[in-house]
Amino acid sequence: MPIKADYVARETATNLWRNRLMTIAAVLTVTVSLALVGAALLLRQGAANAEAYWQRGVQVTVWMNANASASEIHAVKMQLAEYPYVHGCFYRTRAQDYQEAQHLLAADVASALSPSTTPSSFRCIPNRPQDANSVFQRFEGQPGVAKVTAPLQQIHTMEETITVLQWVFVAVALVLLLSAAVLILNTIRMAIYARRREVSVMKLVGATNWFIRLPFMSEGLVQGLVGSLFAAAVVFGLHAVLNAIGNPNNPGSVLTQMRLSGWEVFGTEAVVVCIGMLIGSAGSAIAIRRFLDV
Amino acid sequence: MIRFSSVTKTYKNSTVALRDVSLDIEKGEFVFLVGPSGSGKTTFIRLLLREELPDRGKIWEAGREIVHLPSWRVPYLRRNIGCVFQDFRLLPNKTVFQNVAFALEVIGRPKHVVNAQVPQVLELVGLSKKHDNLPSELSGGEQQRVAIARAFVNRPLILLADEPTGNLDPATSQGIMQLLDRINRTGTTVVVATHDAALVDWMRRRVVELDQGVIVRDQSRGVYGIDPVTGPIPRTTGPVPRTRVAARGR
Repeated sequence: MPIKADYVARETATNLWRNRLMTIAAVLTVTVSLALVGAALLLRQGAANAEAYWQRGVQVTVWMNANASASEIHAVKMQLAEYPYVHGCFYRTRAQDYQEAQHLLAADVASALSPSTTPSSFRCIPNRPQDANSVFQRFEGQPGVAKVTAPLQQIHTMEETITVLQWVFVAVALVLLLSAAVLILNTIRMAIYARRREVSVMKLVGATNWFIRLPFMSEGLVQGLVGSLFAAAVVFGLHAVLNAIGNPNNPGSVLTQMRLSGWEVFGTEAVVVCIGMLIGSAGSAIAIRRFLDV
Repeated sequence: MIRFSSVTKTYKNSTVALRDVSLDIEKGEFVFLVGPSGSGKTTFIRLLLREELPDRGKIWEAGREIVHLPSWRVPYLRRNIGCVFQDFRLLPNKTVFQNVAFALEVIGRPKHVVNAQVPQVLELVGLSKKHDNLPSELSGGEQQRVAIARAFVNRPLILLADEPTGNLDPATSQGIMQLLDRINRTGTTVVVATHDAALVDWMRRRVVELDQGVIVRDQSRGVYGIDPVTGPIPRTTGPVPRTRVAARGR
């Protein structure tokens, strides 16, 4: 016997309306928890984008001592040329670095420098971004080398921060998702209780188990779905706001570097909606197993 | 139509509800199941509805062995069995018509079938004029008639009644019995579990007496207590003679 869709829709609507307060609570909890899940996913994707952007521009700078001798500079130059992880280097003289420093630094700081106290440097591009670390280890402490700088440490710190933030989001979202499932379970349980007479008559006259279960199943599914659609809207709003702040004319901004394409957001939305439906079905399935004796 | 073969049913608290019960009920029979509380009458009904499973033995119903019936087929079994209870079990927020129609709707009968069959069966139980009343607006007897209409609207092969007159006065109870008799005469097998001695004596139909889960008496045209004149008569197979002892009205 096929179960009529209009019957399921009607019964679901009746159940939801009868339990509207609980339904609202369940839907809101689903919304909040899934918005957090969505935000965590956006953050992760944004971080991945920003990281790719940062790594494209990784440059290792080997700063020579200001008083390094010509032979020391020559030795470092030869070693860099032979070093397999380095794609290529160019040497910047003190004068060049002095010019750059005048350009970059604030006037009062820059005025403290003179061409003779400004160190010369080698600007090197590693073969791969992650090779920067081996360059760092190889040349740090060499005679005549003052220090080796690579932006990796900052990238690393940034990544760690984002990872921690992401796990906090996920942990809070998990707790909220659990409570959302419990709330859905409870609304279904109340619906089953409210309809226990009807259910017992249905069993008595030979309604199939699925005919009895389906309205309750769909009630949970609807709650999960509605909650996740709200959450998807919140996630989309968040994405829109972040993209608006991350002005493409300002490529130095982290927010700009974290910009996501429409497809990436669409993927996140799909995940959010799927989790919502999963939570709804799981909550109602448990309620039906525990409380609906068919 | 119904056959119990060495059926034993023990509940979890090790109460023995039925002990090695064997019984045959033919198609079209009208059987009273009598005995004191706790004698196993309700267990008998619940086994027939497959709300319980026996520990041992086999049960056939409408030509099908039901103990090993897969659970997804149980609803289809129940469509062949009508059942009424002492407490009527009507839906309080539905009208008489809706209560009866509900039984057809939930097994997926189309609307035109519902609209044709419900008035027919309400006519049969004498409630044609109360279509739109709520159960709370009816007397106990009328409510039980609605319950019977609901049990019978799908034309089941078997009608089970567990203390159908337990909440009703004697005159109303007689009316309910006459209605069950009328349903029986359409060929439906009727099994009534009851305490009501007066009704059993009045109807003079087959009586199966249970005591502590054992059949102690099986008598065609029996009375509630042991008949002082004829004594207990061992049941022989074969249909019950359709002799009517009491006058029937309506």
